Amino acid sequence: MIASMLGSARSASSNLNGLAELLRQAVVEVRSGDSGSGTGIIWGGAGLVVTNAHCIRRGAALQVDAGGKWREAQAIAYHPQHDLALLASPSVSGPLLELRDPESLRAGELVFAHGHPLGIRDALAMGVLHTVTRDRTKSPRWIVADVRLAPGNSGGPLVDAEGRLIGINSMVVNGLGVAVPASLVQQFVERALSQRAA
Amino acid sequence: MSPKSESGSNTLVELSSQLAAAVEIAGNSVVAIHARRRIPSSGIVWRDGVIVSASHTVRRDDEIPVTLPNGDSTVATVAGRDPATDLIALRIKSAKSYVAPRADSSSLRVGSLVLAVGRPGRSVSASFGIISAVGEGWRSWQGARIDRVFRLDLSVYDGFSGGPLVDASGAVLGLNNSALARGTPMALPAKAVDRVLDELLESGHVRRPFIGVAVQPVALSASLVKQHQLGHDSGLLIVSIADASPADKAGVLLGDVLLEANGQSIGRPDDLLDALSSVETGGAVALKLLRGGTIKTVSVTPADRGAGE
Repeated sequence: MIASMLGSARSASSNLNGLAELLRQAVVEVRSGDSGSGTGIIWGGAGLVVTNAHCIRRGAALQVDAGGKWREAQAIAYHPQHDLALLASPSVSGPLLELRDPESLRAGELVFAHGHPLGIRDALAMGVLHTVTRDRTKSPRWIVADVRLAPGNSGGPLVDAEGRLIGINSMVVNGLGVAVPASLVQQFVERALSQRAA
Repeated sequence: MSPKSESGSNTLVELSSQLAAAVEIAGNSVVAIHARRRIPSSGIVWRDGVIVSASHTVRRDDEIPVTLPNGDSTVATVAGRDPATDLIALRIKSAKSYVAPRADSSSLRVGSLVLAVGRPGRSVSASFGIISAVGEGWRSWQGARIDRVFRLDLSVYDGFSGGPLVDASGAVLGLNNSALARGTPMALPAKAVDRVLDELLESGHVRRPFIGVAVQPVALSASLVKQHQLGHDSGLLIVSIADASPADKAGVLLGDVLLEANGQSIGRPDDLLDALSSVETGGAVALKLLRGGTIKTVSVTPADRGAGE
């Protein structure tokens, strides 16, 4: 009985190692001017990175670090209400995270936050989903999770146990982690790209 | 690149969906109680038509609006409060289908995975952690003796007090309360909830016998112990007596040193509280006192503090 329990704890732990490895390759560190760093998520396969708008100091030089190499980046779109920014850094690449439909989220399921809290590279934090808050039209507005975040986690991914992106960690409210739902991030990126194309 | 193990099964995914299922099951018996400003608190449908919650979160005594697990609204009335365990019992119209499944907490150990479930609004929320300690024979600062209490390594967020602590299957282990130990997340075990609830439903309050003295432990000199053949070397010095209290009426005096109650030796304030709580309603307790170097015995009939509140 105890051996089988330990076995499943070990197996859960090796699943965690896999998850951490996936996330390590799917995120970048974002640095803007002299201010502290944030986290960014590689998006769409064409050298795009999504992060929090508050991680970017307007007008300051912008760099992203993927795989140990700092590269120049440009901010190409902002969404201040949703605290999102889209960056372009052509040579950045990595695995793309699958998106998780916020409507399928259940309170109590495991969530993981990846990022660089307080300058510590590639830190993983585990917690559970707390609730999904909604706007007036009943569509998901914020993902709230019982997970420990710190400055530097901003812009990083909140994922489920299968490594699918639930949202982008944006702030801490009353000790709870608050993330922008992946669906809003996707809308933001699509709109930004179509406006550039037009 | 996916975080799957070689065998193809993913323990993490299974664990995650079990936890979510546990919250769903537990959420079926968690109600929101709207009896204070700002954030509503949580309550558990404990028995048919009976809700339990944390007393400090319920700031009114009648017409208490409650949101049921299915989103319906109803109105509850207070059946009783126990300030010592901060437990409140509320009555609603029958809600049998929401009665919480109970866990066997005897197998619970330090390190067991637990979830706190709350309904600080319309929807259910959860936090996750482990049992960080099991306190045996714990006494709350309000004076209640609780055989067992769970100290939790998880966050009891705003609106979570009064909600259930559940195991990984969603069965209820206890009632979460962040105010029981001044901010430390604690849970009152289901057994203690049942015991207090029985008394609340029967008489509307929990009996807390008192005699009206303030005491301080003092050491007894070796010669005193020898002279009176005492079995212990400390007693309780009576430092104040409330006017017209049972102790006052029985003739207990300031400066008396309390040695025994009903034959049990008394060395700490807890011993006195234990001795008093074992006295039946209306019964008397024989106090053995040291007064001016001689032993005296007085009989005191404790009053019930719970009845006055």
